[in-house]
Amino acid sequence: MTAITNGLPRDRMLSEPRDLDLRGKSGSRALKNSVATAVMWAAFAIAVIPLVWILLTVAVKGGHLILDSTWWTNSQQGITARREGGGAVHAIQGTLIQGLVTALISVPIGVLTAVYLVEYGRGRFARIVSFMVDILTGVPSIVAGLFIYAVFITTFGFTRAGIFVCLSLTLLMIPVVVRSTEEMLKLVPNELREAAYALGVPKWKTIFSVVLPTAFSGIITGVLLGLARVMGETAPLLILGPYTKAIATDLFGGNMATLPTMINQDRDQAVTLPAYDRIWAAALTLILLILLLNLLGRLAGRFSKV
Amino acid sequence: MKNTRGARFAALAAIGGLALAGCGSDNNTATTTTGTAGSASSSSAAGSSESAPATDCPSGTLNAEGSSAQKNAFEEVVTAYNEKCADLTINYNPTGSGTGIKQFNAGQVDFAGSDSALKTEEKDGVIEVDAAQKRCESPAWNLPMVIGPIAVAYNLDGVDKLVLDAPTLAAIFQGEITTWNDPKIAALNSGVTLPDTAIKPFFRSDESGTTENFTKYLKAAGGDAWAGEPAKSWTGKGEGKEKSSGVADAVKATAGGITYVELSYAKDNALGMAQIDNGSGAVELTSDSIGKFIATAAADGEGNDLRLKLDYATKEAGAYPIGLVTYEIVCSVNKDAAKQNEIKSFLTFFASSEAQSLIEEIGYAPLPAEVQTKVAAAVAALS
Repeated sequence: MTAITNGLPRDRMLSEPRDLDLRGKSGSRALKNSVATAVMWAAFAIAVIPLVWILLTVAVKGGHLILDSTWWTNSQQGITARREGGGAVHAIQGTLIQGLVTALISVPIGVLTAVYLVEYGRGRFARIVSFMVDILTGVPSIVAGLFIYAVFITTFGFTRAGIFVCLSLTLLMIPVVVRSTEEMLKLVPNELREAAYALGVPKWKTIFSVVLPTAFSGIITGVLLGLARVMGETAPLLILGPYTKAIATDLFGGNMATLPTMINQDRDQAVTLPAYDRIWAAALTLILLILLLNLLGRLAGRFSKV
Repeated sequence: MKNTRGARFAALAAIGGLALAGCGSDNNTATTTTGTAGSASSSSAAGSSESAPATDCPSGTLNAEGSSAQKNAFEEVVTAYNEKCADLTINYNPTGSGTGIKQFNAGQVDFAGSDSALKTEEKDGVIEVDAAQKRCESPAWNLPMVIGPIAVAYNLDGVDKLVLDAPTLAAIFQGEITTWNDPKIAALNSGVTLPDTAIKPFFRSDESGTTENFTKYLKAAGGDAWAGEPAKSWTGKGEGKEKSSGVADAVKATAGGITYVELSYAKDNALGMAQIDNGSGAVELTSDSIGKFIATAAADGEGNDLRLKLDYATKEAGAYPIGLVTYEIVCSVNKDAAKQNEIKSFLTFFASSEAQSLIEEIGYAPLPAEVQTKVAAAVAALS
């Protein structure tokens, strides 16, 4: 019995009821079924509980601050841990600027690498490139930060600045962009390429005006998701991007605030102080920012019907 | 069509980001203040403004890094300084004393804050004093600027006054005394009814100058009672919590809890603070009593290098013997004259009575008059 019904599609089982004994599930099967169901739901709940918990805690503790308009218009300049007020605009700006510059550096490199891997790469060199991208994917963010620190600060003697944060974030973002773009380019039907070739279009032009445009929204999705990942990154910022309470937009000199470093700056304060609430609000702002990017990524993805 | 829609989203995101990045204000003058610190700071700032030394106001940016113990004092002073001189932006990153010195010696920051003076002996292949000299091309000076009293904070219902001494504290933090009504504690607290609650010591699980200074005290004043060596990481018993806020929270939430923590955290969490018997009677932790302790310190440096050798075993009447000194570490001669002028302007204010009384309000202690005069002279000698 069990042996026969196992592995059969459900509709087929239902379509030949007369041959089967359908007096209800046997005891052991019913038990297995309910155990499996219970385990599944429990696993789901375990996965969701911390998520909801974190979101609720952050929203409850930091929500009231971000509803205040000064949060979005003012910096923390002149605000000590014991004073209320001020905003996070310096940190939001820093996070956005660094994210944007990181994207500007990593997107061309990442997309072109993916084009090479999908369209041109054959043989050993392509395999090596692909392997290197895999390795880069596994590099912990702290290593990326320390690498840039060792090269630019220790060896070349620069002082820490926002641009070095961008460079280390680039190391983290490139593999994400390469992988997602690669997947998108692979999805482009070969018939499109063949049709272009049949019309006598050269290969570079085919890639440029047929393959890339077809995969465009998918690539955008990948880029936005990659950006969302690096914008929440903390380790390289702690090493390379010292915090400031003032608005600073110069990537090439001086301290620059970001949301993660803003959180780090005051996390050691007593819970009774206003600074403590601001940590939660900064965390909530960061979550919202990344949520927004993810939503944009999904939205762009909906137009990707390759 | 699909593509242009995708592009439109990308453009929208970029424009939105830039629009948000385009505006924003650093002007936070009309802010409300909470607690004693804010109101006291404004009144003392107004009251003693004529006594403050005249500072010229350079414009620029100073970056400092180091001790987290002085962070709140530093921020308070920076805010007060910026009320006079708004054009000098001063950033402080509380990454810890060791990191601060490393960044200073690597030329990453303009000056460092550290809970211990630059070390003269080799550690990890580096002699800090020499590395600093190399960075500055002149001797680096340790200027004591902030005194951070360390409170022995406890949570014991119905006990408002508790006296402890070094051997007892050593025994408590090594797990040798386990209940609050132990005869050793009772002997120091005649007339106080001690409950039989279990003692739950909490320590800093992260490396900390507070731990180092507390264990220095236990070692110096407790004699053989403390078995370990003074160090930044804890060698005694108890439960570890991260950072000052961690131990303060733990004591607040635990009946029978005890820990060592900076005064401001004990105050902010409304914890009980033990009086310390230094051999000539119980001493309450006040800015006066911690000042007496710092005043007993011997000068350990030459000329304007004002490193202090704290006498933890002091028996001076009325001196509270547990505290730490945060130094600002600066180049005595700076290649960048404009930068040195900025440092000088800010540190002159930091060493003034006005700034020192400001930080007293938030749980630090002002420099004793004698030390303050020396620091002011040293700052004036920076070039």
